[in-house]
Amino acid sequence: MPRVLPVVLLKIDIQLTDAGVSFGGVHALRGVNLSVAEGEQICIIGPSGSGKSTLLGLMNGRLLTATGSVEVLGQDLLQLTARQMRELRCGLVWVPQDLGLVPNLRVLQNVLCGKAGRLGFFGLLRSLLLTRMSEAEEVRNLLERLGIPEKLYERTDTLSGGQQQRVAIARALFQDPVAILADEPVASVDPGRARSLLELLTGVARDEGITLVMSLHHVELAREFFPRLIGLQAGRVVFDQSADETTDRQLRELYATGEE
Amino acid sequence: MKELSRWRNWLGSRRLTLLAAFVLFVVGLLVLGARLGDLKPSKGGLELAGKFLGAACQPALGYEAADLPSTTPPFWEKVGRSLVLTLRYAVVAMSIALVGGVVFGILGSRAWWPALNQRSLSGWVLLWVLRTVRIVVRGTATLARSVHELLWALLFLTAVGTSPLAAVLAIALPYGGTLAKVFSELLDEQDASAAGVLRSGGARSSAAFFIGVGVRTFPDLITYALYRLECAVRSSAILGFMGIPTLGYHIATAYEDGHLREIWTYLYVLLAAVIVIDQWGSLVRARLSRPKPAREAGRAEDSVAELRRKRPRSLVLRASVVTALVAVAMGWMTEKQWQSSLPAERRQANFERFLHEVIPHPVRESGNDWSEFGPWLKERIWPRGMVALHRTFHIGTIAILVAGCGALMAVPFAARSLAGRDALGVPGGREHVSGLRAGAGRMLRMTALVMRSIPEYILAFLLLQVFGPTVWPLVLALALHNGGILIRLGSEVVDNRPSRAGQVLVVQGGSRRSSFLGSLLPESFNRFLLLIFYRWETCIREATVLGMLGVLSLGSLIDEANTRLFYDDMILYVLMGALLVFAGDVVSDLLRLRIKGGAIGSGVHSS
Repeated sequence: MPRVLPVVLLKIDIQLTDAGVSFGGVHALRGVNLSVAEGEQICIIGPSGSGKSTLLGLMNGRLLTATGSVEVLGQDLLQLTARQMRELRCGLVWVPQDLGLVPNLRVLQNVLCGKAGRLGFFGLLRSLLLTRMSEAEEVRNLLERLGIPEKLYERTDTLSGGQQQRVAIARALFQDPVAILADEPVASVDPGRARSLLELLTGVARDEGITLVMSLHHVELAREFFPRLIGLQAGRVVFDQSADETTDRQLRELYATGEE
Repeated sequence: MKELSRWRNWLGSRRLTLLAAFVLFVVGLLVLGARLGDLKPSKGGLELAGKFLGAACQPALGYEAADLPSTTPPFWEKVGRSLVLTLRYAVVAMSIALVGGVVFGILGSRAWWPALNQRSLSGWVLLWVLRTVRIVVRGTATLARSVHELLWALLFLTAVGTSPLAAVLAIALPYGGTLAKVFSELLDEQDASAAGVLRSGGARSSAAFFIGVGVRTFPDLITYALYRLECAVRSSAILGFMGIPTLGYHIATAYEDGHLREIWTYLYVLLAAVIVIDQWGSLVRARLSRPKPAREAGRAEDSVAELRRKRPRSLVLRASVVTALVAVAMGWMTEKQWQSSLPAERRQANFERFLHEVIPHPVRESGNDWSEFGPWLKERIWPRGMVALHRTFHIGTIAILVAGCGALMAVPFAARSLAGRDALGVPGGREHVSGLRAGAGRMLRMTALVMRSIPEYILAFLLLQVFGPTVWPLVLALALHNGGILIRLGSEVVDNRPSRAGQVLVVQGGSRRSSFLGSLLPESFNRFLLLIFYRWETCIREATVLGMLGVLSLGSLIDEANTRLFYDDMILYVLMGALLVFAGDVVSDLLRLRIKGGAIGSGVHSS
């Protein structure tokens, strides 16, 4: 049963009602009901192929639901024009597993790309090639907060993996988003680095009041950092509850019949 | 089902590839009637070769002829002018090809397509429009490069007369086509993750593509363009054989006058130019892929202005950009007259006559009765055209097989990771031959550099004088040039891919040879194959023109038709050549896709 939120108190950022997607006749996701309130931090867990990425894809319109509806920031994604979709997405950040940085740009330029949606094509070009002092200052301040201000003008691919993660977070914050959607951002890093990234990300999201939805492979990390967990199995939500309520047995069962 | 998969496994095996190569080699030799005995130079050829090699040690520093008219410019001025002209045509052609290549490259790729909703009618229609554009653009680019630059030159020169513009366009067209193809592939293979992030953050598809994919692909594009510039200098030089006064022209005339030492002067100048560009390219590539750290590291308390002042900058890259821009500007501006010196009406008339004479002559003479076309075509294609086409194919194929085998044997000695004292990075201990081995490796790399720097056409021209008119000079010229390229690329494969299994063999006491044969070669076999197929395609392309030097193949038919002013025949054979190159291109692409897909052998990771 999906958890019923006290709607009167909280603004709902993301609302999925009976959402479903199928690829070539195979149901990747079926009958999903889910609501994410403003500033909430939730984690999607489940075995590979259970539909975690698909669910995140529905939330910023990279995928469109075939059934029911998906509302983000009060707007039904199926009803949006291309322009409205872009405007909506300006408030959403997407962080893929490989961070999606441009390796041969400087850190400053990668962070400036966070405003790509708001600036438009030529605005972005101007910002990258003729960066204003105020923009550079803003980016430097963000990097300072994340602990790497001296890397401002370095080429991004010369940074260590951990530093690149911080650049990705700086880019996300520079976008000034309502919500951050992250798809297994720590899947390919060592445990220590994974932990520090999660600390950073959940910390800044809490400070800024940004909604955070993340999918994770590591159940322990999910339990440690997120108050609310959503268990996915074969395209269905099997539980949606607070991390404290989640039992080891539930987790064992969640992964027992997966593809792994 | 099981039977089938076993059969396919066997089909896809290395054994079959090697067997097919061997069969092709033997069949090719039979078709070409090439006997190994012909490799013995004639007596006169041997004498000439001796004199020629002697001349190599003492290139001319002044005119060899004694009695010169007083109007003759100083020797070095002549050399300098022809070098500048060669470079100018190459640079201007590349500037056109690069613009065309980028535009066509983007249109020919899928990477820039916006995310389309195929469920809506407009999305579906747009998708089909985009697909059609892509196919048309790719087809045009492939056609442009299926015709060799020498043949484009031949066509332009006959159609509009000798002019710098004809020379430049002859290079720009096929090069633009090649750049377009390579650029499309680079874009489509590029990791689109950054573009996905940008688009998911509300950016337009155009911005997401430009920054997320385009900027990422830029270093590869530049690296490749510099390599093509090097090729363009070679192409520009051999346009001299068509009467344009670049370096090749002076090589050909010096040969006719028997001035062997002058030939070497021009050859050395060409070599130097090509090698300088080659080395420049490697330097730029190194800086783009492994940027040097800043001289002064930024500190956390630095202000933006201070950090900016300390930012890592590359003098090499900056100087390269300035050099390139200046070279292009100079190339365009220093030519006073791009058109030929004929008056406009004459040019127009010549062009119209050419267009008229391209129509098959029975059709022309019978007042555009196209029923005459069939018999005319049949008479030319069968058997002459087909025999020539067949021979052209085998010349290219045998050459690449020879080059490939040679390169495979040379790579273990040329690769830096094997030629050094510590094979594959495993400390090897003291030995008295290590210096010798490193020296041999360096010599081999130098030789490969020289081999690939001389244009095949000039090599074939010189070898023909030594060996006489058999196919061997053509095969050898192609094999030498491509062998040089394959040695370099093959060594890079070994050097850039540290082999664990190879290291294990060395640590266990294996020799370099055993680690190469036992692990490096099988591990990289498919990458070598990819390289060989990639060069095979270019060998076939080159083979269509080498025949113009007088060995029966498509090139010789084209040349013959041209001298007899049978432009209808000429166009036909040019088209046959284009068709052959086109087919080779498609087959090579398919085979490479299959290899990348892991159909042959195993363990391929395309990158």
